[in-house]
Amino acid sequence: MFNYLDIYIKKIPFCLPTRTRTLDFTIKSENQVKFAEDKMMKKIDISTIAYICGIMMLIVASNLYAQDLTAHEIINTMTETMNPDQSQGKMKMTIVTTSGQERTFEYETFSKNQGEKSLMKYVKPTRVKDQAILMLNNADDIWVYFPRTKRVRKLATHAKKQKVEGSDFSYEDMGASNTFIDEYNTVRHSDEKKEGRQCYKLELTRKSESSASYSRIVMWVDKEYMVPLVIDYYHEDDPKLWEKQLVCSDIQLIDGIYTPMKIVMYNKLDNTQTGMEIIEVTYQVDLPDDLFTEQGMQK
Amino acid sequence: MKHLILASCPDLSFWIIIYRKIVDPAKREILVLGTWFLELRTWRLGFVSCILVLATTVVYAQVDIYGYFEPQFSGMYYDSAFYQVNYNKLRIDLKSTAVKNIEFGANAIYLLYFGKKDWDILDFLPEHIVSTIPSEMYPYYQLTFKDTLFLDNAYARMNIRRLALTVGKQQLSMGTGYFSNPTDVFNTKDALDPTYEQPGHNAIRLDLYIGNRMNLMGLYTPIASDWENSGKLVRAKIGIGHFDFSILGNEMQYTTTDFYTFELTQQRRRIIGADIVGELLGLGIWAEGAYSFLEENDDDFYEFIVGTDYTFESGLYTMLEYHRNSLGKSDYTEYNLNDWMRFFTGETKTISQDQVYGFIQYPLTDLISIGSSIIVSVSDKSVAFVPTINYSLFENVDLMLIGNFYVGDEGKTFSSSLGNGGFFRATVYF
Repeated sequence: MFNYLDIYIKKIPFCLPTRTRTLDFTIKSENQVKFAEDKMMKKIDISTIAYICGIMMLIVASNLYAQDLTAHEIINTMTETMNPDQSQGKMKMTIVTTSGQERTFEYETFSKNQGEKSLMKYVKPTRVKDQAILMLNNADDIWVYFPRTKRVRKLATHAKKQKVEGSDFSYEDMGASNTFIDEYNTVRHSDEKKEGRQCYKLELTRKSESSASYSRIVMWVDKEYMVPLVIDYYHEDDPKLWEKQLVCSDIQLIDGIYTPMKIVMYNKLDNTQTGMEIIEVTYQVDLPDDLFTEQGMQK
Repeated sequence: MKHLILASCPDLSFWIIIYRKIVDPAKREILVLGTWFLELRTWRLGFVSCILVLATTVVYAQVDIYGYFEPQFSGMYYDSAFYQVNYNKLRIDLKSTAVKNIEFGANAIYLLYFGKKDWDILDFLPEHIVSTIPSEMYPYYQLTFKDTLFLDNAYARMNIRRLALTVGKQQLSMGTGYFSNPTDVFNTKDALDPTYEQPGHNAIRLDLYIGNRMNLMGLYTPIASDWENSGKLVRAKIGIGHFDFSILGNEMQYTTTDFYTFELTQQRRRIIGADIVGELLGLGIWAEGAYSFLEENDDDFYEFIVGTDYTFESGLYTMLEYHRNSLGKSDYTEYNLNDWMRFFTGETKTISQDQVYGFIQYPLTDLISIGSSIIVSVSDKSVAFVPTINYSLFENVDLMLIGNFYVGDEGKTFSSSLGNGGFFRATVYF
């Protein structure tokens, strides 16, 4: 509810100054000024009333709308929020291994067309420095660039099940932007509080024709930010076997988009975890198409 | 054993250089496998490159310096005795992108050998072949691993919009095959360790990226003193759906050695090749083939490879490749000295005509993966088992243990009489 109200309130202030400015341009004499002031007062009165009425109606409508949001609408809005048109950033990935050691990776990320194209370039550690992963068509096509041999290798989609650099994220977890919509049927359950916030609870069940890696997904989507706070992933073959849990936190508004700055994936079967932290990110970029090519991987 | 020795010597061209350059066929002068002049050349190159790099560092102070240190211990049981040949390898990479759109890259490698450094290749050849070699020629077949420093890569790469020009000693890799690449005229992979880095090659390379998934490549490799005999290669690559296709044409001068007389023959070859990689019914598939037209006789030959792979939900990765090399022989009793030595030196990729490679790998934990390669020489019915363990000890430290166990009769590609063993490699990145 709040995010729709928030969007509306953001739009209101743009309306008022525009009207005032229009009046300023038309004022030419004192009479005209007085007439204009009276007219303006009347207009403001009307505007104020309309404004208040509008807000009240919006609150009522938003409440009704929120209650009536279907699972499909929630998942669509969430996917839209989580996949801005373009983005560029730097991430830090920390893997906590079974032996309790920490492994830290840093990489640059670029994405375009709401995540349909994405590119990752490792910066640290030196073992994987300059290694790049290009994913096109929502990670249906994956290429990996190995800088020491200057070789680009295309991976088949089954490789999406492989772990990225031994982390708890698979290529599928990292790359597919619209998997939740395309590969799963979604059902909305009663709202629940998660991580201290009001959330929509959704249950996603893999479509029969899908080859997605998880048979079932349960997620809690923050009502205000429309980003998932917690996602539980269940095993490919056993919908009751809890395999992984993703927890998002530190949500910040960046370039008008709510962004979880910290993400942790817990592997419930291996008892490992991988954290991802956004070091910097911007959504106001115009990335060239040739970045998402073999040439772009090697630049 | 052949593989073990080659694995102990990461620069595969080292062997080829020894046979092609150190042994002078005209004078029949036996230079017992020393590499002193090779070292002289590389030292000079190394010195010049160091000066260049230092100058660059001073001017721009924007040079990334990184690399790795890699000790490797190789051991084998052969003829009821245990032998070891080991090395310490230091690779230092330098990279600068201080000038806009231009990347400078270089790396120098220093190899320090210890253990049994002197080997006699005749010890590993079948008795009936050794008996055909005159005894006065025996010293030709000595091999000594000598410490060496060389500049493996040194190049400048310029990117201008959709054009990339790379000039200098650089990595060149072609093809989609895993264990072998028929279209790769520059490198010969070691089937025991096929993903290991390859040596750099002097070349001028131009890449033109026409569309998002289409590019043309032109390559000139000045391997001869004139334009005509130097290498020329063009390749077109296009992506359609879930597939990448490429075709290439190549013309290059090759050197063939007669290992009975150590005479070298220069031979111009024209090669047409193609490769494809993609997905079918959920399986990864690829194929790669090349046909070689020889200029002076009719012994044209072809080579192709087809492969498939799949990753199971458990993380188990499986791969299978079939490889045919018409230059190889289908009857192992016909293998002669030239076949063996050309196989050892990389002049030919296989000694037998048909091979099947299998590979499986399973992530035992998040830090340890185990696997095994099985290399079957179908033509002579011999097999090599190559179990592997990879352990990520620390963030920048990888450990690798590879074994090799040959099952085959005397005279076959993987004869058990070649010796069994393995190596342990630690790679410390900095």
